[in-house]
Amino acid sequence: MNDKKLKVKDFITVGIFTAILFVVEFACGMLGFFHPYIVASYVIMIPLVGCIPMMLFYTKVEKFGMITIMSVLMAIIMFVTGMGYLGAPLIIGAGVLADLIAMSGKYKSFKKTVLSNGVFSLWICANYFPVVITAKSYREGLLESGYSQEYCDNLFRAINFKTIGVLLILCFVFGCVGAFLGKAVVKKHFEKAGIV
Amino acid sequence: MKIKLDPRTKLYMIFIVSAVVMMSATTPFLWAVRILMTVIPIILLMCNKRYASAIRFLFLYAVALVLTFTCITEDSKGIFMAFLVGYCAIIVQFAPAMITAWYVVKTTKIDEFVSSMQKMHVPDGITISLAVVMRFFPTIKEEYAAISDAMKMRGIRFGGGNAVKMMEFRMIPLLFSCVNIGDELSAAAVTRGLGGKVKRSSIVDLKFKVQDYLLIIAFTAVLAVFIYNKYFMK
Amino acid sequence: MDNTLTNNDNIISINKVCQQYKGAESESLKKVSLNIKKGETLLLCGASGSGKTSLIRLINGLVPHYYKGEMTGEVTVAGKDISKTELYDLAGIVGTVFQNPRSQFFSVDTDGEIVFGPENIGLEPSEIKKRKEDIVQKMNIENLLERSLFDLSGGEKQRIACASVAALLPEIILLDEPSSNLDIDAIENLRDIIIGWKNEGKTIIISEHRLWYVKDLVDRVLYVKNGHISHEWTKEEFNNLPKEEIEYYKLRPLNIRTDYFHLLSEDKNSDSIDNNANIGLGLEDKDSVILRDFYFSYTNKTYVFFKKKFKESDGSFLQLNIPELRLPKGKVIGVIGHNGTGKSTFLRCLCGLESNCKGTIEIDGKEYKGSQRINLSYMVMQDVNHQLFTDSVKAEVMLSNKDLSEEICLDILNSLGLLDYKDQHPMALSGGQKQRVAIASAMAAGANLLLFDEPTSGLDYSHMEKVGELLKELASMGKTVLVSTHDSELIETCCDHTLFIEKGRAVSLEKV
Repeated sequence: MNDKKLKVKDFITVGIFTAILFVVEFACGMLGFFHPYIVASYVIMIPLVGCIPMMLFYTKVEKFGMITIMSVLMAIIMFVTGMGYLGAPLIIGAGVLADLIAMSGKYKSFKKTVLSNGVFSLWICANYFPVVITAKSYREGLLESGYSQEYCDNLFRAINFKTIGVLLILCFVFGCVGAFLGKAVVKKHFEKAGIV
Repeated sequence: MKIKLDPRTKLYMIFIVSAVVMMSATTPFLWAVRILMTVIPIILLMCNKRYASAIRFLFLYAVALVLTFTCITEDSKGIFMAFLVGYCAIIVQFAPAMITAWYVVKTTKIDEFVSSMQKMHVPDGITISLAVVMRFFPTIKEEYAAISDAMKMRGIRFGGGNAVKMMEFRMIPLLFSCVNIGDELSAAAVTRGLGGKVKRSSIVDLKFKVQDYLLIIAFTAVLAVFIYNKYFMK
Repeated sequence: MDNTLTNNDNIISINKVCQQYKGAESESLKKVSLNIKKGETLLLCGASGSGKTSLIRLINGLVPHYYKGEMTGEVTVAGKDISKTELYDLAGIVGTVFQNPRSQFFSVDTDGEIVFGPENIGLEPSEIKKRKEDIVQKMNIENLLERSLFDLSGGEKQRIACASVAALLPEIILLDEPSSNLDIDAIENLRDIIIGWKNEGKTIIISEHRLWYVKDLVDRVLYVKNGHISHEWTKEEFNNLPKEEIEYYKLRPLNIRTDYFHLLSEDKNSDSIDNNANIGLGLEDKDSVILRDFYFSYTNKTYVFFKKKFKESDGSFLQLNIPELRLPKGKVIGVIGHNGTGKSTFLRCLCGLESNCKGTIEIDGKEYKGSQRINLSYMVMQDVNHQLFTDSVKAEVMLSNKDLSEEICLDILNSLGLLDYKDQHPMALSGGQKQRVAIASAMAAGANLLLFDEPTSGLDYSHMEKVGELLKELASMGKTVLVSTHDSELIETCCDHTLFIEKGRAVSLEKV
């Protein structure tokens, strides 16, 4: 028996937490309908809310592959729910990197977990890819079909090629902050209840 | 008439539509192609007797389209107009992807999806996890409903005005439930042979039929038109 | 000679097994030895936590392959050494039906669930289809095909779980407290399925608290206590055990009074219950809780802009239709009736969870409407895990009422025997303790009307008894307790009255 290999239980764990994470993303995404600036604040909201399930997930990760699979699943779900596939390389890349970082700490080191969660959080930026990559033609299209300069400015002031860098950094930072927050919650509830 | 499509065709549809929504339509001809592309999944929804959602989408898309073409001009200003413009822009731009995705999610059974993933040689680990994700969405919904009932009874739905508490009270019982259910689910699944070395078989019979080929051709054509216009016309 | 012969007959042999789960304080099994012959039907009984489930897990291989821990001894099932056999290789040999219908299915639709096992072991699609047809016909579940598992009742889910296990054609079938979440009709259905398997010559092992439905199916009964098998009875011995002995072993009774549940279903058909019987035991205002205008339906009748108010004349459209009902104050009232006849709806409306139900409750001359009902009443849900939010028992109680002094809080905990656990996480407690934490928070909120939804369905006899005593105690403190239940044992131990609900109407209210 090879203990390094992932088992059914691991796959199911990944599935469950991916579902929860996606629900968090979806719930936050709903708020984005109000204003473009809220869309930009996903990078803060989603890591902070999603950190609780993520940190609980990290306590269950012991082998390489679980975090990677989670990122692949997120990419697939984003694709199937019509949010495009341009972000897939970023999501999966972040997932693999996060997995490698956590593995280097043997999935036990809290420092590595913080970093890992920070890197994993980068997937959130994939939400912006359609807007960023198609910005030019999108904007032209909007203006040509008679949109006000004001709205376009609003949308693109918040999300463009320059700010995407800032957004990525914010994601990472709040991913790390979230890790501390999540860890505290896991300790307060799940460790105390004795289930991890 | 019920049209049943191969899940792979559906994935292809999403792929094309997601690509096309990224490209702007600049000429009336391109607009026509785009609208046609949006109508196809609506028709497919109707074929699967999902009239309510089909009509809702049709209405939404039509209103957004009409507003975009008639009411909104460059001098539309003010908060209300900004919102209106924003919504219409999002709907017109992304509705094709939304509708296609809705159609695919609502009309594909999990085992169909899983066996089509298998046919495309996606590793077993990913297909198993993905099947669990699909199964878990309704579970989360059920558990969440029970939890919010409980919160209502305790009068703590708004966490006493504390946003952190509000989130904590929702998230913690949900996670406890999900972890428990997951544990029992894994146990039940392994005792029924999931994760064996044998290649998993499937009673879902996946074959491309006429309608699959037709749709694949149609959507490829849509993509071709847009690419041609974007890169070769100017 | 004799010895080798019996060894060959044994399909399962467990030899001196000790087992301790990882992180557990004591051994769950202590030197257990057990031989089971092919075709035998076995019943495991005993208190919860006695090791029944661990025994089942030994046979299906979940111990040691899934639940980790220390284990010594040997287990051989159908000639295979379990410790050296992978779980998926056991799939075609041992099948297990688990306790919780909600968590044991993998698919979303019924068809997919039935063929899940055979697909996993890689059978030919044509063979799988044949098996599916066979099983559907044998178990009579045509009406459940092509349905979403999330729309099925607990009993229907459990039938699909049985079908899914049977599709693998295992020689051995294990059932781990399969009736825990089922009502009487569903249990009788389950019984039929077990009889079918027995006739096919399968080896069946059932771990169960409810004994009445299996007592005449089994060949042998084992009593498990503190991790070992302390008693063994043959079918005849077991069925003739005197009542005192059953009570001594803290087992649930072998015979139950089904008349509580069948009394009205047969002679009264749907026409005759169209009118709410004029019931209420002739109570005076001061002794009663008066419910008025409880009408509700899950399918909204909407006008264009607002929802229609339900009223009595909506008749069969309503899932709950109670114009007026007087309940005795300060008593324990068992709410009974068949599944899907509106018991849960009644409780949900009563405590104000369904805001479309505009009923009012009058106690001591004071009338409670709308959201006031939420403050007046509290429901302990079937899955109590959903209603525990904080990180300690004390915080959980304090959450109910900001103005509560610590003294009163500790008083409440003390009265429920929870004082020792006040700093523990509610989720770390046992099921019964969690229920009491929920009750404590209800008391802290000052609820006068306590509702319980199936509080004892998965409990063993002594835990059930404890719940019964607790309910009586709550009533003696002046609370009015309504408990919806399928357990006639519970009704006998604690209820003062029974309220029969049929098709959303209160049909009768009787003294026990």
